[in-house]
Amino acid sequence: MATKAYDKSFREEVYQNVDSGEDVKLCMQCGVCGITCPLRGEMTHGPRQLWSLIRAGKRDEVMNSPDIMLCTSCYSCKVRCPRGVKVIDVMHGLAHYALEQGIVPRKETSKFGKAFWDSIYKTGRVDETEVPMRYTLMAGPIHGIFNMLEMMDIGRALLAHKRMKFKIGPGLPPSKKIKGMKGLKKMLDKAKAMSPGKEG
Amino acid sequence: MDKNQACYLCKGCGLGEALDFDNLEEVLGESGVSEVKTHDALCSPDGVALIQADVDGGVNAVLIGACSSRVKTDEFNFGSQVIVERASLREQALYCSSDEEEAKEDRQMLAADYLRMSAVKLAKSNVPVPFKLELEPETALLVVGGGVAGINAALAGAKAGVQVYLVEKEAALGGFLGKMAKLAPESPPYQELEDTGLEELVAQVEADGKIKVYTGNTVDKTAGAPGNFTITLSGGDTFRCGAIVQATGWLPYEPEKLADELAYGTSPGIITNVDMEAKAKAGDLGGLNGVAFIQCAGSRDQNHLPYCSAVCCTVSLKQAMMVKEANPEAAVYVIYKDIRTPGQSEEVYREAQRKGVVFIRRDEDYPKISESGGKLAIETKDMTLNDTVEIDELDMVVLATGLKPNNPKVVDAPLVALGMDQEAAKKLAAESKAQCDSWSVLNLQYRQGPNLPTLKYAYPDSHFICFPYETRRTGIYTAGAVRRPMRVSQAVEDATGAALKAIQAAHAAAEGVAVHPRSGDMSFPEFAMQRCTQCKRCTEECPFGAINEDEKANPLPNPTRCRRCGVCMGACPERIISFKNYSVDMIGSMIKSIDVPEEDEEKPRVIVLACENDALPAIDMAARKGHKWSPYIRFIPVRCLGSVNLVWIADALSSGIDGVMLFGCRHGEDYQCHFIKGSELANVRMSKISETLDRLVLESDRVRVEEISFNEVDRIPEIISEFMETIEEVGPNPYKGF
Repeated sequence: MATKAYDKSFREEVYQNVDSGEDVKLCMQCGVCGITCPLRGEMTHGPRQLWSLIRAGKRDEVMNSPDIMLCTSCYSCKVRCPRGVKVIDVMHGLAHYALEQGIVPRKETSKFGKAFWDSIYKTGRVDETEVPMRYTLMAGPIHGIFNMLEMMDIGRALLAHKRMKFKIGPGLPPSKKIKGMKGLKKMLDKAKAMSPGKEG
Repeated sequence: MDKNQACYLCKGCGLGEALDFDNLEEVLGESGVSEVKTHDALCSPDGVALIQADVDGGVNAVLIGACSSRVKTDEFNFGSQVIVERASLREQALYCSSDEEEAKEDRQMLAADYLRMSAVKLAKSNVPVPFKLELEPETALLVVGGGVAGINAALAGAKAGVQVYLVEKEAALGGFLGKMAKLAPESPPYQELEDTGLEELVAQVEADGKIKVYTGNTVDKTAGAPGNFTITLSGGDTFRCGAIVQATGWLPYEPEKLADELAYGTSPGIITNVDMEAKAKAGDLGGLNGVAFIQCAGSRDQNHLPYCSAVCCTVSLKQAMMVKEANPEAAVYVIYKDIRTPGQSEEVYREAQRKGVVFIRRDEDYPKISESGGKLAIETKDMTLNDTVEIDELDMVVLATGLKPNNPKVVDAPLVALGMDQEAAKKLAAESKAQCDSWSVLNLQYRQGPNLPTLKYAYPDSHFICFPYETRRTGIYTAGAVRRPMRVSQAVEDATGAALKAIQAAHAAAEGVAVHPRSGDMSFPEFAMQRCTQCKRCTEECPFGAINEDEKANPLPNPTRCRRCGVCMGACPERIISFKNYSVDMIGSMIKSIDVPEEDEEKPRVIVLACENDALPAIDMAARKGHKWSPYIRFIPVRCLGSVNLVWIADALSSGIDGVMLFGCRHGEDYQCHFIKGSELANVRMSKISETLDRLVLESDRVRVEEISFNEVDRIPEIISEFMETIEEVGPNPYKGF
């Protein structure tokens, strides 16, 4: 089941266009990044295999890999890489590059990003109640409620410790806006215009 | 020499309270040592002064009953003309025995036996007289091989002030260094390829008045012994030298043997790393757009070279960098099992990666190479992707083949002589003989054959990690890739080390002392030739080829080739071989001097003949660590287990001793001793003694050989108690009291 031949065009593309893309050259396939990743159970390839796929020229597999949008920026891999590969930078670089190319490798990440963005755009804050509510409801009202029920224990604990405000639904009651909301919006608009990705 | 003996007993370290010194003095008196003095701390300046005063007053044989002979050696050294014998009362009688009141009697008997044995040993010892060569000893150095190791060995020797003869078979110096285009980075920041620097080295050799170069020559004959080798070259020149450095380098593994696995020979594009280097040297790397290197081509493969050649990875990195330098757009792949970049070469690996070389990890199977339309393609397993991948559009595939020593493979003679596995040994011996008949580097005029004995991969080494440069022929050292696969910078270091070792050996031969491991030992084996039966066992079994034979098979010893292990002494059935301070009679008399109680006293006696290099220190350490063992054990140190003569076992059993143990070093594949074969020989000899024991109606369980390495301190009490149980089961020796 020989897969298609090694192709050098994609690796050259990554080296040139992706943030810290040239670091991929330095990977020596030790696997520390993959095993150190807290999301290793969720990843399909993990950073090590992604680098190999890039070097083998497998464009579709890399650009559509959900892994590149799963990275939570915990920095474990970057800290531990014996070759000093800036793993996180490359992962985010690949995600950006994919979005720029009109490819959305992982819808959930984009959805959460939208909920996060909306909350900041409207109030200037990341509301601990509001953002998860909006995110879970994106799956539709019925799925949303089931998803929320799944997280009920965490919610209850957070409420008991006063780490979260009680809300009936998104915007009920509405969150308090920060001072200088106008200025922030201006900044966000500008950032959005500069960003290559689309947030939804 | 008239011996004037005196004994000094130490009461320090608790000996004073534990032992009855009046009784010990009595015992010594019975053993012929009437002059006995005691001191509270013999190793103190005061105690040493006590002995020194007597030595100044004419005492020349000193028996010290104190701590182990391995400690306080400086304090108890009274010059080479005074014999010092140490009875290890502290470790072997006090520390290892139970401190309960009822054990006191046994402990006293133990101490008394050690003093009896030491008194006998002292009486039988003589001051060694160093061996002097007949001719004026020569210290010149012969270096065989004019590659990087040979040139550097010659330069190091000349720098140390000795005359050096440098012999090279090719018409010019350089060896493989002369065939290299560039060297992989050897200095920080390990990113730039470096020049070989050969011209400068050759210029240095030519400018050096102490180096005489013979190019286009090989060694036809090496006769003699360290300090007095006579070399005859193929060109007819003859000269004397004191020691030899063999730096004959390496040979590439034959790529033809890889025709099945890696399609070598099917396409001009499939070449070896040696061919690639030649191309690079000829400046022939332009126009390459796709190149793949296949690592471990025949290396680490049981069907080819089972070992890692250590340099092929760095060589491929270097060559990949050269391809990238010639054409930065070229696709360069390295297909590897593991990248092994010792030392700072990891930086070279990184630099090759930075230059864009792609690395693919394969599994044990060789990649498949195919050709179509003038281009090559490779199908290989990619371990990271867990998939089979294809690399095509290649102009060239380079096989990274390994290194073989440029030296014939020789099976060790003692193995053949003893015939541990007769058939296999004979076959190996025949094979190696066939090879040696057609190929020898030094053409040694030794009874044991013209070549250096080798390890299993034909490296002519003694033990490449523990004793670098040392071979199993005294005065002959190896340097560079003939010793183990290594790169240029390592060969330079190696050359210096080997040259200095060789100079040391030549000087030791001139002074008549052993070079290693018994550095400075002046004793050497002497043969009472009138009793020799020409059985050839000494000449066969000597691990160092020290003994030649005349046409009537009489042994012709070469003391400067000898390392003083005593294997010949252990081998001789007529017991005609002895050293001034170590002989069959001496140890035999020591054994006979042990006081063996009557059977009804139920105090068995067991002697342990212990290797003084590994087992004895382990015993000392075990005692110091507080391990206790049976007080019926008597340790007798021997130079090497190979020096144990079977007559000692007979002496022991016939004098009523219940059991004999032999503690030797590890043998077989993981041997670690300079004496190489002693322990193994002892094992074989003991396996043969069991028949004799059966005939005497003595149980063969009474004799046992144990392997003890230096660090196996905690095993000693276990082994002893297990053996004591066996002896108890077997019952007392029926020869007691005869």
